[in-house]
Amino acid sequence: MLTLKNVSVGYTGADVVKNITLSVEQNENLSIIGPNGCGKTTLLKAVANLLPFKGDIEISGKPVHEMSHREVSLKIALLSQLSGIYFSYSVFDTVMMGRYLHIKDKFLGLPSDEDRESVMKTLEVMDLSKEKDRSITTLSGGQLQRVFLARTLVQEPEIILLDEPTNHLDLKYQIELIDFLKKWAQSGNRTVIGVLHDINLAMKLSDNILVMKDGEIQVHGKVNAVINDSLLRQVYDIDVARYMRESLKIWEELRS
Amino acid sequence: MKVKIIITICASLVVLVLGIALGSVNIPPGEIFAIIRYRLTGTEFTETVNNSTAIVWNLRLPRALLAFIAGGALSVSGAVMQSVLRNPLASSFTLGVSSGASLGAGIVILLGITIPVAAMFTLPVLGFAFGIGTIFLVIGFASKVDSQMDNNTIILTGMVFSLFVNAITTLMSALARQNLQQLILWQMGSFSMRGWEAIYILAPAVVAGVIFITHFNRELDIMTFGEEQAKTMGVNLKRVKWTLLILSAALTGGAIAFVGVIGFVDLVAPHIVRRIFGSSHRYVIPLSALFGGAFMVICDLVARTIIAPRDLPVGAVTAFLGTPFFAYIYFSKRAKKAQVR
Repeated sequence: MLTLKNVSVGYTGADVVKNITLSVEQNENLSIIGPNGCGKTTLLKAVANLLPFKGDIEISGKPVHEMSHREVSLKIALLSQLSGIYFSYSVFDTVMMGRYLHIKDKFLGLPSDEDRESVMKTLEVMDLSKEKDRSITTLSGGQLQRVFLARTLVQEPEIILLDEPTNHLDLKYQIELIDFLKKWAQSGNRTVIGVLHDINLAMKLSDNILVMKDGEIQVHGKVNAVINDSLLRQVYDIDVARYMRESLKIWEELRS
Repeated sequence: MKVKIIITICASLVVLVLGIALGSVNIPPGEIFAIIRYRLTGTEFTETVNNSTAIVWNLRLPRALLAFIAGGALSVSGAVMQSVLRNPLASSFTLGVSSGASLGAGIVILLGITIPVAAMFTLPVLGFAFGIGTIFLVIGFASKVDSQMDNNTIILTGMVFSLFVNAITTLMSALARQNLQQLILWQMGSFSMRGWEAIYILAPAVVAGVIFITHFNRELDIMTFGEEQAKTMGVNLKRVKWTLLILSAALTGGAIAFVGVIGFVDLVAPHIVRRIFGSSHRYVIPLSALFGGAFMVICDLVARTIIAPRDLPVGAVTAFLGTPFFAYIYFSKRAKKAQVR
């Protein structure tokens, strides 16, 4: 479904992502992990056609650079990290913006019943129905993150790219979000590619995992097959497994 | 929302009528309507009404309408610039439209240039051409140095070009001083003695511009969340951005070419409209036109009556009246929110 061949992406001449070759199938969830600055977000942006890249990116066999904005956005949606909000919109109106390409009234952009239904359904799933008339400037970071995720979902893409989607979410919503994304992908033969910092969540979300360091793929494969102590130590320069064991020990002590 | 919109439309019409009715001679609204009906349909009226015809039809009606149209055009332009550039302080003035128009006006006034075919419209034509020309240069230059046309690049380029063009006008003013006062008066802005011709040209252009910009309401909404978000949602960002920046510059350029440089309304009116009606551009654009238009009529009314028979510069009045009003609307709502929390 999504194929990357020798993709390199850079800013001002220097490549931040180097020579990535990768294939993601329909219905596959992929987590991308790696230390800060390793090129995870840059890779996502190149896939979303937001940054110029070298090499080939194809969606269902069609090169991204040959596709129009409209075509790409109907196939791929990206949930970026939160940035500043300058103007106040209601939660409902903000999510409705995700229907931009689906709304049939091209002059004033008035939504149809179908558009309203799609937004209301997604707000319900995201536990935001009660907040639909609230201004987004009054929401907490977690609520806002769910609003933007809802907006990404109503876009009805085939591939969803998530850049640290669990940021700002409390534990309950983090786990619920990951469970929801898995179901969402399975129910519609869709693909989720998420950049995550939490290795536990990454392993919970995905069938496959891509580990990056210094702009290159360190490892790509089934979670069970590739994640191990030495890999994590090598990538993060820290004994992740020991840290996890210590956390588990504290947890066990608390329980007893 | 519907009630608020109806109140705004009615209030704008009342302000427009007041703008015509009040002055050195107060004219009752009934007489104003009779005069307009007579001029449009030829319906007869009484002798007393006849005395006011010239004042209403030749002086006050075109003046109030011009103030309304110019105020509306400037406000809509400000609303677009703020949303497209994602900067609450942005306006066409930031991108050099007024500097360009001033240079055009300077060439006409200081050097006494006349375009044979345009004759009395030489100043508006050159003012508009230089204003729009400057913004074409700014956007063209910005897209050359940054193919992604980042907002910061556009704003910075606009400010640099604006300062550069201002320097040319200043230099020209220093070298050719004989008509300097006339240029300064033009730069202060005025609706006096512009006649119906300005309205015949400006009104259809502004109405068409506002309708066309309202058509882009969804793109404007999405763009306020950032360029990346807009692109991933399917907005053809470069095309939409070019179109909206040029349209908005044309609205400002057209207005100031006829009435001179009048600032402040483009900055403040959209913010007040957003405070009252929310940020959806389906409402912000047409209501900014109404609100900005009505606000400008009030400012012009104050400018021509407060020390009558002398006119004050409208640009100064917009700031004098607008600042406390803006502070009241902006901060009273904030205070209410703080109390709720």
